[in-house]
Formats: sequence, C-alpha cells, structure tokens
Amino acid sequence: MLFDVARTTVAGRPALTVRGELDLATAPHLAAAAEPLLQAAGDALVVDLSHTRFLDSSGARTLMILARRAREAGAELHVLVPRTNRPVRLPIDLLDLGAAVPVVASASEIGTVVARKDAGT
Amino acid sequence: MTAPRADEDALLRCADEPIAIPGAVQPHGALLAVTEPDLAVVVASANAEELLGRSGGTLDQYLDDADAARLREALDGDLAEANPIRVQVAGAEVDLVLHRADGLLVSEWEPVAGAEQAGAAWHRRLPTVLQRLSATATLDELTEVLARDVRTLTGFDRVMVYRFDEAWNGEVVAEDRREDLEPFLGLRYPASDIPAQARALYTSNWMRIIPDAGYQRVPLDPPANPLTGRPLDLSGSILRSVSPVHLEYLANMGVVSSMSVSLIDRGRLWGLISCHHYAGPHRPSYPDRVAAEFLGRTASLLLPTLLAAGETDGLVEVARRTAELTAAVGRTPRALATALTDQDVTVLDLLPATGAAVRLGGQLRLLGTTPPAERVVPLVRALLDAGATATDAASRVVPEAADLAATASGVLAVPVGGEDFLAWFRPETLREVTWGGNPYQSKTAQTDDGPRLSPRRSFAAWSETVRETSRPWREHEVAAARSLAGHLAAATLSRAEEDNRLAGALQRTLLLEELPKVPGVALAARYRPSEDDVVGGDWYDLVPLPGGRVSIVLGDVAGHGLAAAAVTAQLRHALRAHLLRAAGPAAALDGLNEVIGALLPGEMATVVVAELDPESGEVVVASAGHLPVLHAGAGGAEYVLDGRGPALGVLDAPAYGETRLALAGDDRLLLFSDGLVERVATGLAAGLDALRDAVAAGPADPQELLDEVLGALNPPSTDDVTLLGVART
Repeated sequence: MLFDVARTTVAGRPALTVRGELDLATAPHLAAAAEPLLQAAGDALVVDLSHTRFLDSSGARTLMILARRAREAGAELHVLVPRTNRPVRLPIDLLDLGAAVPVVASASEIGTVVARKDAGT
Repeated sequence: MTAPRADEDALLRCADEPIAIPGAVQPHGALLAVTEPDLAVVVASANAEELLGRSGGTLDQYLDDADAARLREALDGDLAEANPIRVQVAGAEVDLVLHRADGLLVSEWEPVAGAEQAGAAWHRRLPTVLQRLSATATLDELTEVLARDVRTLTGFDRVMVYRFDEAWNGEVVAEDRREDLEPFLGLRYPASDIPAQARALYTSNWMRIIPDAGYQRVPLDPPANPLTGRPLDLSGSILRSVSPVHLEYLANMGVVSSMSVSLIDRGRLWGLISCHHYAGPHRPSYPDRVAAEFLGRTASLLLPTLLAAGETDGLVEVARRTAELTAAVGRTPRALATALTDQDVTVLDLLPATGAAVRLGGQLRLLGTTPPAERVVPLVRALLDAGATATDAASRVVPEAADLAATASGVLAVPVGGEDFLAWFRPETLREVTWGGNPYQSKTAQTDDGPRLSPRRSFAAWSETVRETSRPWREHEVAAARSLAGHLAAATLSRAEEDNRLAGALQRTLLLEELPKVPGVALAARYRPSEDDVVGGDWYDLVPLPGGRVSIVLGDVAGHGLAAAAVTAQLRHALRAHLLRAAGPAAALDGLNEVIGALLPGEMATVVVAELDPESGEVVVASAGHLPVLHAGAGGAEYVLDGRGPALGVLDAPAYGETRLALAGDDRLLLFSDGLVERVATGLAAGLDALRDAVAAGPADPQELLDEVLGALNPPSTDDVTLLGVART
C-alpha cells in the first residue's frame, strides 16, 4: 500500500507526516494515528501533506474531522501543503477545507497564522 | 538480548560446595559428637576444651549429676521436645541442644551469656501473636505481621520476608526495620544468591543463624566421622559453619549478623524470613530462635489458604469483568466499540494490563499505554499470523517489534472476525522490577580450586535486564479475552446481517422512484452504488418550491453503510424543510448545519444546492464543502467556483455564501459526487478536466448527456457515483 503516516516534528510542533495516497482506504489510519496525539492533550498538531501525492474527498473529510476533534481537545491543528503539491492542494481548495482548518504552504507560516489569530482576537 | 551470565563454571562450583559437611562450626558454641549408648566423644570442635573445661571422655562427664540425669532422660524421649536442656558448665549457664546424625548423637553447647533474650513477657504474649497471624486475610497481611513480630522477638535491625518466584529469584514482600535504614521492600534478588544446595538444606532445616559474620571457623577434630569415614553431616546442626562465599556476601552488604527461617508451602521452599543486623554481632537466645522458627512454621501452615485465596481473587475479578463487558456488548450491539472503551468498565479493566486496543469495523481505539496507533495493527496482525495469541516476549515472535518493548513486551491478542481484534499490552518487566544488585555482575575470583563466585560489591538497586519480556499472561486471562472476543464476533455477525437488510430498504427510500415533473425543466439523474458497500452516503433531491422555482440537491454523507444511510435520510428531509422555508440555498445550508450541530453531532456531510427559476433561467448555487457544479453553454463548460463554504458539521456557524448565474438557451448544469472524478492514478485535476471536456462536447439533452459522461469517464466501481443534469425546456 502506497501509504505511510509517521510521527514527526514540524515548526517545533508534533506532526504526522503522511506519505502516499490519503483516500477512503488509508484515511482511517491517519485518524487512528492522530487520536493518541490529540488525547495526549498537546496544544498543537500539524498534519504534513508535503509528501502526500493524492487526496480524495474521504481524506479531506478526515482532515475536517480531525479539525473538529482538535477543536474539542483544545488543540491547534494546521495542515501543511506546499502550493507546488497541486494534486493535494486542489481538493483542499475546492472543498473549502481552509474554512475549517488553517492550511499553510510552508512550516514558517505556522507561527504567522498563530500570531495573526492572536492579534485578531 | 540477554546480559552475560556469571561464569557458569563458577556457579556450578558454588552449587557443588558441600555446605552440609563444612567440617567446622561457628565459635559461639562447642560441638561434641558421641556414640550411643556409651556417650563416648568421637568428634569434638577445637574450642570444646576452652568452653567446656575438658576434652575426650563421655558426655556425662561434662555435666553435674543432676544435669547428667536430665540428659539421660532426654535421650529416651523425643530430642526435639527436650531441646534445649539448660545446664551448668563451669559455673555458667549453657543451652545444650541435641540431635542425631550419621549414627552419632550430636550435642551442641551454646552459652547463655552473650545471647539476647526477649524475656518471659514476649513468650507470654505468644498466643496473641499466633492469633494475629491466623487472623490475616491476605498474604500481604500475613507477611507484614510475620516481619514485625519476628523483629520484636529477635531484635534484629531488619527483618524481611522473601518470596521466591518460579525461577527462584527472591522478592522482598514485607519488611520491618530500624527507622534509619534504607528500605529493601520490593527489591529482588537473583536465584544465584541462594544456590540450589542451600535451598535444599533450608527445606529440611528451618533455621540458620550467624551471630558474627566475621567469625573464625572452628574445625572439627577429627575431620572425619570414624563411623563413616566422611566429614560429619552438620545439616541439622545449630552451629554449622557456613560457606565463605555467603560470609563475603554478607560482608558486602554490611551485615554483621544474620538469621533466616524457612517458609515452606506444602513441602516446597516458598520463601524466607531473613534477618539482618548491622550494629554489631547479635545472637538471640536459643529459646527465642525456636519461637521465631515456630512463627515461621505457623505462617507456613497458613500459606496454602492465603495463596489459594489470592489466585481465586484474580479469577473471580476477571470473570466478573468479562460478565460486565459482555452485558455492555449485549446492551449496545450497534455501538460495540463504545461499549468496550467509553463506559465505566473498559476492555483495559478486563485483566491486568497497561494498555489495550480495540479494532472493530476497521476502526482502532486505544486505551492506556500502547504502542503508537500505526504500529498496533501490524504488530497484532503479525502475532496472530504466527499463532501467538498470548506472548510475554513479543519481539521473539516479531523481531521488528523490539523497539516497542517499553509498551508491548507482552501482547495478548484475540481476533474478532475479519481484520478486527482485541489486544492487551504489558511493558517489559524491567519497568516493574528492581533487583537487589546486579545479578550478572557476580565477579569470579581465581582460587586454587578454580574460579569461585564472589558476590557483587554493590547492593544498590539495579534493574534486571530481563529485556523485552513482560509478566506472563495467566490461563484464565487468555480464556477471558477469548470469551469476550467470541461474544463480539457473534454480535458483529448478527448486526451485519441485519444491516444488509435495513440498508437495502433505506437505500430505496433515498433514491427517487421517479423524478418529479417540473414545468420548464428537463432533469436527469444517475446513481451507481459502489460495489464494496451495500449503500453509500450519496443522495440527491429535487424540491419544487412555491412560485415555480426548483431546488436541485446533491449531497454526500461521510461514511458508508447503515449508519451513513440513516444520517442521509435525516439530512435529506431536514434540507427539504429548510429549502421550503429559507430565503435561499445559503440560508438553507446554514439551517442544515444547525440541525447537524444540534441533532447529529459528530456527523459530517457535503452538499451542493442549485436553485433554478425555470422562467428566467436564474440559478443560485451554494455549496457546503462539495465539489463545484459544472455550467455548460455555447462557449464551453466552466466550474462554478464561487458560493462555497466548508462541509456541514465542521464549524458551528459557517455563514454560507451563494452565487448567481444565468442558465440560457441550451445551457446545462451538472451536479456530481466525488466518485465521478476522483482517480488515484491521475488525480482530481485530471478527472475534473475530463468531465469538463465530456460535458462541453456532449449532447444538450440531460439524459443523453449523463449517459455520455458516464461512458467517457468510466468511474471505478469502488465509490458511489451520483450525477444530476439540468436544462431548461
């Protein structure tokens, strides 16, 4: 199976780096991998899709479910997708995923998003 | 994997050491072995003359007439009952202790002077002490009482109760000590500390004492018993000189005086009462030692009952948990994972474990301390494939799991059907056990007789490297796990059959038997269910509105199967109600999002609504996280990218937007679900492009158009595919 999810660190935050295809078959693995991190009451989690080569609507849905779970757990979730990763960026944009969870194009933006949010509220 | 063992040869030598026939005694008394009935001395300890004032001759010559008469009387009866005979020797009181060995009468003379005496007060309290012992309900209570009362009686600085495990490693299970001493409670000692021949001796002789570990051994003269030609058997002696290895061992611990009493369960050495003194030499009197031995014997008689009670406790507890969880499964057959993980009693409570995993319907839930989620499934799968339901050393079955030893050295896994399973985890014992000292650091010293064990120098707690091994799974625990899995499999099976029937029925209600006729509008719909699932979460609807307008809806609920179908039905009806009442599609989506938040928390759906006025051709489009609709006209086909918002059920109040377009002449509008355009091989962009091209070049009639699009895109049968085509007539 062309899928792997690894526990990594992005911008100093705990992260899950997803490789391969995030779709109906593999999305549950991401959800399962994220659950203990969210339960661990960490205040931040990054889902790194830099190395994901396919994202379908099931994968996008899983990201939205994670966003909701993170909000319930009081954790800040970021989804990292470089603009060059078109196959993944397109469904995220089409499904308006950004309305539900901060989608950033590089690790350096993660700090920026937080700062802006803090400044705005 | 295993730390290097101490030199096997040296261990064997130690095990060979003739501890029952050392040919010497300790200097706190004298030994005379005599033949019977003449009582002629044939073997004497070298200190006999000094202590007893004479040598050779017969035993009665060492005693005054009265004491000699008591000796003769004792020899006619049970020696154990006669001991000790308190006699006068050279004006001093001496306890005379008798036993028979190797065909000789062995007499041991221990001066009363210099011995500590608990006094008559303690002995008067003995009935109370015995009552306290027999009133204990648990092993912990028994060993605590034992340590406390033996210390009160004997006055040692520290009294511990050791318990041996299957491999003869010892654990300190109870302790009473001088307050300033470091606690040894919970420390473990390796089996090599008490070699096999010592354990054999302790099973027959219940009591040993070394009043001063720095003593000079006193040889027996002659070295051999004249009757046998071999050294005198001292296994029943109270003065027996101990192994120099043992003395070195005590010296390394700073122990000046030690005593131990055997605890024997049904003929097997179960443990020891071990007493240490650090302040200086220490010798409880013979009567006090006999009293301590008596407490040990009494405790030994109580052991079987308390041990059995402990075993039964575990059994009863696990059986009770099994029943509770099985009942929970029966109560909520539609939410098995919840029944097992979210209630007061979870699968983790079923049996003693530090972590548990529940995989049902492909969803994994973890409780307690477990390996990372992404490692759990491969680990359990590999163990089950290898036929290893219960292992206390998972890495021996699955070597690549070695790095998981901290959480999963022990794994108990039972399949529930298909790829589902239940699993429990235990950490490596290293996490749970502290050893007294490092059992693998016994240094071997060269002697004339070859290498000999020299006990370790440090007694600081050391973690034993029984690497990647956990506490073993007990038989009734494995049985309980299997039983629970059996109930789950049955519940899952009956649920699956029922689901198929219900989902089929529900699916028929979700799909329109016949499209309603709307004046001025040509409509076409195609639905192709996925081959993998009975029913998917796709739905579509046409809702004629007051004033001639019509709402065209296409949605997709997250998930598949009966649960998704049920949510789909509710959303479909709720959206109808909101479309009829609301000011427009975006407002209806806001209302529907509220419905999800209030009535279907946790559910998620995408939906797109196109509201058409057949009269004017005006279309209002609003999307909640759905793929865009396609607008085809004379100038080609374009996706409608405005009027989008997030999926339903993600945000509390998203405030959806909407966009307007005009459907002119032969223009067509196409609504579709993701299954039409998503392809792993080529990606979403390629699918969207192919659809646009097919629609742009396709016929104007919606029915023909949909057939042509399906033919051109040929979507895989792994997901639902839903298509709606709209045109004006």
